[in-house]
Amino acid sequence: MTVAAERPGERPWERLSPEQVDGVVERLRGILRDDQVLTSKTDRYNRARVPAPFPVHRWHERVPDLAVLPESTEEVAAVVRLAHELRVPVVPRDGGTGLTDGAVPLRGGIVVDVKRMNKIHELDLDNRTVTVGTGISMLKLNEELARHGLIYPDDPASYPCSLVGGRIGTSGWSLIGSRYGHTRDLVLSFDHVLPTGEVLHVGDGIGGKVSKSSSGYQLKHLFMGHQGTLGIATRATLKLYPKPEAELSPFWAFDDYDDAYRCVGALARAGVATFAGAVLFDEHKVAYLRRDDEAYIPQPNDVRALVCAVMYGYDDEVRPAGRRLFRIAREHGARYLGDEISEGDWAARHDRYATPLHGRTKDGQVVPMSWHCEDAAVSYTHLPAVTRAWHEIIADLRRRTDVFDDWGMFAYTSADTGVDYLTEIDVGIWEQHLDDKAWAMWVEAKREIAATALRHGASISACHGSCREGEVDLVPQELGRGFEVMLDIKRTLDPHHIMNPGKYHLDLAYGGDLGAALDELRQR
Amino acid sequence: MTQLDDQPSGPDALAQALTQPFTPGMRDNPASLAEYDDEVAGPAPVSLPDPRTREFVEEWRNASYNCFSSGHKFCREVCPVMQVTRNESWTPTAFHANVVAMEKGELEIADVAADYVNCTQCGACELRCPNTLFTGDFYRFRTRTVDVVKAVRALAVDSGIHQPQWQTWNRRTDERTHEPVLGETDISQEHVRDWADGLDLPIGGETILFVDCEAAFYRTAVPRAVAQILQQAGVEFGLMGEQWCCGGPAAEMGYVDQAKRFARHNLDNWRATGTRRVLVLDPHDYISFTEDYPKYFGEEFDIEVVLVVELVADLIREGRLTPSVPVERTITYHDPCRLNKRKGIWQQPREVLRSIPGLTFHDVDRVTQWSYCSGGGGGLPVEKPELTAAISANRIEKAKTLEVDTLVSACPWSERPLSEAGDGEDIDVVDIHEILAQSLGIEVGGSRGEVGDRRSGCGGGSCGGAGGCGGGEGSAS
Ligand SMILES: Cc1cc2nc3c(=O)[nH]c(=O)nc-3n(C[C@H](O)[C@H](O)[C@H](O)COP(=O)(O)OP(=O)(O)OC[C@H]3O[C@@H](n4cnc5c(N)ncnc54)[C@H](O)[C@@H]3O)c2cc1C
Ligand code: SF4
Ligand code: SF4
Repeated sequence: MTVAAERPGERPWERLSPEQVDGVVERLRGILRDDQVLTSKTDRYNRARVPAPFPVHRWHERVPDLAVLPESTEEVAAVVRLAHELRVPVVPRDGGTGLTDGAVPLRGGIVVDVKRMNKIHELDLDNRTVTVGTGISMLKLNEELARHGLIYPDDPASYPCSLVGGRIGTSGWSLIGSRYGHTRDLVLSFDHVLPTGEVLHVGDGIGGKVSKSSSGYQLKHLFMGHQGTLGIATRATLKLYPKPEAELSPFWAFDDYDDAYRCVGALARAGVATFAGAVLFDEHKVAYLRRDDEAYIPQPNDVRALVCAVMYGYDDEVRPAGRRLFRIAREHGARYLGDEISEGDWAARHDRYATPLHGRTKDGQVVPMSWHCEDAAVSYTHLPAVTRAWHEIIADLRRRTDVFDDWGMFAYTSADTGVDYLTEIDVGIWEQHLDDKAWAMWVEAKREIAATALRHGASISACHGSCREGEVDLVPQELGRGFEVMLDIKRTLDPHHIMNPGKYHLDLAYGGDLGAALDELRQR
Repeated sequence: MTQLDDQPSGPDALAQALTQPFTPGMRDNPASLAEYDDEVAGPAPVSLPDPRTREFVEEWRNASYNCFSSGHKFCREVCPVMQVTRNESWTPTAFHANVVAMEKGELEIADVAADYVNCTQCGACELRCPNTLFTGDFYRFRTRTVDVVKAVRALAVDSGIHQPQWQTWNRRTDERTHEPVLGETDISQEHVRDWADGLDLPIGGETILFVDCEAAFYRTAVPRAVAQILQQAGVEFGLMGEQWCCGGPAAEMGYVDQAKRFARHNLDNWRATGTRRVLVLDPHDYISFTEDYPKYFGEEFDIEVVLVVELVADLIREGRLTPSVPVERTITYHDPCRLNKRKGIWQQPREVLRSIPGLTFHDVDRVTQWSYCSGGGGGLPVEKPELTAAISANRIEKAKTLEVDTLVSACPWSERPLSEAGDGEDIDVVDIHEILAQSLGIEVGGSRGEVGDRRSGCGGGSCGGAGGCGGGEGSAS
């Protein structure tokens, strides 16, 4: 079970004994009400998983010892202080939708589930901010904000299910980030419980309602995207925008990938102010959509790749912007797919592409598959090469087994200039058939996927983080000397290594032969 | 770049078959795609010692895997129970995942049974699930949380694992043929038609009106309103010879044998009085008669089941009913889960309300209302009244932001908890039939429940209705 512990430089660890767990529970009952301390088997099993596929027969390895449902920063701090004192692992969990296993407990301990902290504490219409508990969902928040004509535009595909704390813990990526920025831009500041249980307010400089400060180190970034290894965000102040009056999301078809690729680049580089994002669907993605998507089955055979561009703003901004992008698209051989597909597909952007029933064996049998999503950040010029190489890695897996399926690739702009793309290969994995051998094949493939990204100057992850088995081995290589800085920070802030242990090879901060371990990892 | 119809041939065909984008299952795919050997054997199946559990997972694991394999929790925020508990153990996702864990021998029915109390069987999660929305119908494989919850509850009961309040409730129902909706006060068969005092309704006949336990014994203004509306429109109907509880609640709580016995009795009784058509005013009964009974009896069940609110909408459209007394209230409509989410019935109640003069109607669309619930269904108020109260409070809060004085529902089981929650916020909870009856100039009579009667006894306070609510006048009866 201690796969991680067998790695160089990492010390073995032990689960808490039942007596120790009882002791922890008793102490927790002094801090929280009984209904906030959960110890039953189902409470624990249902906080061991995230949507990313994992062998079902190994589920029990990831089950925590207990879970707590705190309702305030003070309660979170008290729980973490106790864990710090007793040296018990703490795993922050919010929506539980993260795709790099961040919220999965690898060493038992206490899951701190912050979903109950979902209040709207303050809506400041003059400064255009809202202050919320980090257990709130963007969808629910926006229902409230709509009454004031406002929107919090953090819009991941997981919009209906991910929560603000998890967005902070992963430093998430938003579908319309090219216009509104991503989570790191939209979260102004937050209260954060450190691994020692101390509470810190973090933002630019003084934090609060300040969007840009040069005072001191820029700590906000540090406390976002750490996958719960540096503490727990409890209350956040967010930036708000007027709810856009107009939305335009044309979908265009192309004869082949190359034309679509050239077109998406031109659209993204056009510098249109209302541009909120562009998406490139490659040929595998279009073939995949033809399996059962009623919008794509009837499309003629020469529809092989797609591009979608999205604009948000006032009507009198979006219309002329649309005309400009339509012209660019036409110049690149695009064929407009019509209003119905354009509006319908964009409206379905959160829901459409991740259902298990799309899974197929090579000869066409429908099998329920889980969705795995690779999400490198790739600069524009490297997109075609990464796309080809990744498909080849999955093709190799499929030559060996039907456990894996290629669901095609998307490339989404991350920025308003078209510099880099969240490059996503969607892999169907037949979890019911995922035995140890298939899992080993997969972990190796994940290493190769990450290595391919690095070879092309890409980052392993644009949105989810990179601490899942396989990819995580490449992180020391990706960050270079920065990885050792990570270790130093971790050791300083979390002296007893209680926050989400087992993630990101951070064990290396706590002893063993660091040099040898890093050498081995970096040679991969 | 690549051409979809470029077919590799020759010795490299196998190696190349997967280098091109393709859609599995298409006729013109390379034949070599079928030639690969699979290196993966799959995990060894786990053998489960308990035969009941084995049979259960065989039946339900595929339905649950469809969720487990996504596990994306798109349904979380629409679940009324989740909204008030924020406890991930009580989510649709968990309800499916537990079944998978049972298949793997990780969890047993004794571990999971109590969690399954926390569901009103409202159906919201099924509608919100992308599996239902996008491919479910294509493959006839929509998400089935409600059925899974019912099945786990039934497995629990069959395995001798009982929730204390449910056990008592169903025992008392069994003894008295009706649910113990009056608390300590026992209910009895002799009183099941008391609500109809003075209405002069025949017994039996081709069409009968079926009145659920809550309406027959507690919120009697509802059946009185319905009966008098139908009389005014000239609809001929009688009451059941010997009406028992429909059995639905027992089925929902896992007491399936009892539910079937009750269903058998009712069907036999309809046969005995020559009944071919059953009018139903309660959405829960409507589910029992349109889903459970056909499942129990198959072909034998040839009874036509008519939902009163749909019938009434027809009657208004045909001009057989014309609401003309203005009802000066500012209302919003609560879509009962079992109509809107389980049966897709949301249009007709709105038609009825729009036909009533005097009403100011602040409507909330049916999709937004997927996440609304009274908490009154699925046995939740029996075992966990505090959750029902919290869910109702949530619902009332939504109504309050619309600045209405009245919340109109079409489900008697929702009206008790909603009335209790509404009382504190000065929001009246009225049944759609009660308010329609008022507009038809009918003196309804009967009781609108404890809160409703107290509020209408106020002599026209903030509601300004001068006893104008459907049942106010008759609250003394
Ligand atoms: C269908 C689907 C689509 C997705 N699309 C996108 C997308 O477009 N863009 C994107 O960025 N992601 C996407 N994701 C991934 C996922 O939704 C995001 O990573 C999201 O930010 C996770 O949020 P969560 O609330 O579910 O967090 P969790 O999964 O609970 O946690 C994520 C990480 O953050 C940590 N954490 C949780 N709460 C806190 C806290 N309060 N303080 C500090 N750390 C915390 C956890 O320990 C964990 O490491 C998608 C996932 C799914 C299932
Ligand atoms: S019920 Fe549907 S929406 Fe909910 S977790 Fe399961 S698959 Fe996802
Ligand atoms: S049926 Fe309703 S209460 Fe039950 S799990 Fe689904 S959404 Fe929740």
